[in-house]
Amino acid sequence: MSASLIDAERDVALVDLLDRLLDGGVVIHGDITLSVADVDLVHVSLRALVSSVEKARPQ
Amino acid sequence: MIELLAIGEPGVTPEPPVRAVQSDGVSVLCTPAPEGGRTAEDLWRREALVERLLEAGPLLPVRMGTLVADEDAAAAAVAGRGAELRSRLEHVRGAVELAVRIQPAAPARDLRARAALLAAAEGVHDDLSALARDTAERPGPELLRAAHLVERNRVERFVARVHELQAQHPDLAILCTGPWPAYSFAPEPER
Repeated sequence: MSASLIDAERDVALVDLLDRLLDGGVVIHGDITLSVADVDLVHVSLRALVSSVEKARPQ
Repeated sequence: MIELLAIGEPGVTPEPPVRAVQSDGVSVLCTPAPEGGRTAEDLWRREALVERLLEAGPLLPVRMGTLVADEDAAAAAVAGRGAELRSRLEHVRGAVELAVRIQPAAPARDLRARAALLAAAEGVHDDLSALARDTAERPGPELLRAAHLVERNRVERFVARVHELQAQHPDLAILCTGPWPAYSFAPEPER
């Protein structure tokens, strides 16, 4: 959504992106490896982000 | 290893590095699995790939981090689910997802004030849902977190309505992002 961000704040959008990547989408069963550990770093920074977004105000 | 990115209609011909594997009447769109950890920039690059695929036709993103050994395994991953996935592709055709989170503009003074904010947020949510083809509430720490599936040609109207509602509710902060691929409108996971 690079060119089409409705709210320009990329951090606000990152919360929504992570919410979708980690909890949305088609869940596949069977012979797969689910590799979410590799987003741990982003996840940790998301926690800080969510608390800062809590305080976010619209313009 | 390869990562499954999305499910599309049969016969999709993506540009490298994305490849399409045909199986059970759908295209399984995949890329080489990323190595090492992912940064926020990696996530945005992955998102840009999925959004480019969305330009070619309806798409169901796959949960991030779904890795399989090879293309045969990618085909096997959707075997038997073609009908369900094609029906869901029809549901999202021509529409995009808009994310809406509603929070108090300032911390609520007490429980009664919070209840009033929650009621106002639900009113905003119902108003916006009327402009959407489908709506999914999502868990989150906000007063309300939702995803709306909106026809492409109604996105502008939806966003204009968000701005009107924000002006009417200065005690709420309405955060709207998108358009996103239809992450929140994939088939329900089997239990």
